[in-house]
Amino acid sequence: MSDYSIWVCEYSYVKDYHKSGVLYGAHNQGYVKLPYCYVVIKGRDHIAMVDVGYNDKEYGKHLGDKFGVENWRSPKTVLGEIGIKPDEVDTCFITHAHFDHFGNVEDFPNAKFYVQEREIAKWVWAMSLPDRMRWMMVAVDPGDIVRGVDLARDKRLITVDGSLENALPGIDLHAAFDSHTYGSMWVTVRNDGKEQSDDTWVLAGDLVYVFENIAGPGGAVDLDEIYTPVGLAVGSQTNLVMATEEMMKQVNYESKRVIPVHEERIKDVFPSRITSEGLRITEICLADGEASKVSG
Amino acid sequence: MSAHANSQTFNRIVGIHKPDCEMVMRCDPVEETPLPGEAELVAALGSEQTAEYAMACRGIYEDLRRVIGQLAGLMILARVTRKIEFVELEQVDNCTKRWVDAGARIGALKAPGPVARHKQQIEAAHDFCGRVLRTFPQLSSRTDLDATFDEMGEHLKQAYQKLSRASSHEAGLVMVDFSNACCSCGR
Repeated sequence: MSDYSIWVCEYSYVKDYHKSGVLYGAHNQGYVKLPYCYVVIKGRDHIAMVDVGYNDKEYGKHLGDKFGVENWRSPKTVLGEIGIKPDEVDTCFITHAHFDHFGNVEDFPNAKFYVQEREIAKWVWAMSLPDRMRWMMVAVDPGDIVRGVDLARDKRLITVDGSLENALPGIDLHAAFDSHTYGSMWVTVRNDGKEQSDDTWVLAGDLVYVFENIAGPGGAVDLDEIYTPVGLAVGSQTNLVMATEEMMKQVNYESKRVIPVHEERIKDVFPSRITSEGLRITEICLADGEASKVSG
Repeated sequence: MSAHANSQTFNRIVGIHKPDCEMVMRCDPVEETPLPGEAELVAALGSEQTAEYAMACRGIYEDLRRVIGQLAGLMILARVTRKIEFVELEQVDNCTKRWVDAGARIGALKAPGPVARHKQQIEAAHDFCGRVLRTFPQLSSRTDLDATFDEMGEHLKQAYQKLSRASSHEAGLVMVDFSNACCSCGR
């Protein structure tokens, strides 16, 4: 019995992203396609998102011209491919405050947003540092935090301190402090609703970008595979590895169940289709009675 | 509640290195990520005078961007937790100092004809930030905190909108640092 359907929905992409950004130490190993995605979790009583992407009107042209970000499409278009309207989404779990994850709250007018308290507090702290330490503020848009003020006013922002079980029934939040960002978190779906679930999915946010972050090359240390963390971390790669271990523990070390949203090859593992807009929908699992959105 | 106790909640969240941490202060300056140089600005912005203005404006823009971000974060924490100690911290002092510095530099900023309107946006953003900052010390005496936060939130939004209108990728006045972000492919 499965309570939730889960889809990874691509909303934009960068064709040539340097591999060392997604995989620690992968210098001079060329470029990979980096899809930008969010996750939709649909259950009987709730529709939730893991992250909300960014809003192209703010800096879409700049991203396109300078960084090669292409083919951005709105949540209305992207979610329409799986038969969902943005105003039906009631819950958004923000894994971290980078612009491509927290940058489009406006398109989800009926949702409550969960974010780690530390992600906000450390942002305030980082903003207060001397100019020479500006690197620590990378990729966060003050505008997203300003919009967070409105969410707080409307009682639509919930700050979490650490782990939170059953944020929605069977869905837990787990913190990975000082890792990719200061207050990153991942989302765990226990899809049979059991406390000790046999059907767990981990939606990793940016704690895992690609498969190699979980199963990286271990030849140099005489192992087949080792955890190899994400390249970009304002916290530490050590904390990324520790978080990976926790995530893997939750899925009983079945690595397929840790979902990396920036991974293009996820289409080789799960049923997927390319939409008429040239973006990918990947179906991770289906709830009982839910029809596939990628086949037939 | 003492100032020390007031800071405890924030410090618990922030954890390892506070802004006054000796280790942080000991760090040597490092080279900043290069923004467009003056020659590029002249080409992009049309005249030497305008380019000079843009160069001078960068530091002010960055200060205001940070002040807005800090204020927004503090307001979220205060509002969600209902603890106004979040806004009685050294973080606010730090923010105020940055705002005062920015004001002095705005005063000295020469804005030739074509960019006079740009400077007005910067001035307006600074002014709205000031309104928020001036309200912080009054919070403990306000009876209707929600109404006060609403008003502060509106001023903050105005500040952000004004600064957004003053953004210019050509001039290096950008709201988000993408240089090491998920999208940065080093072009």
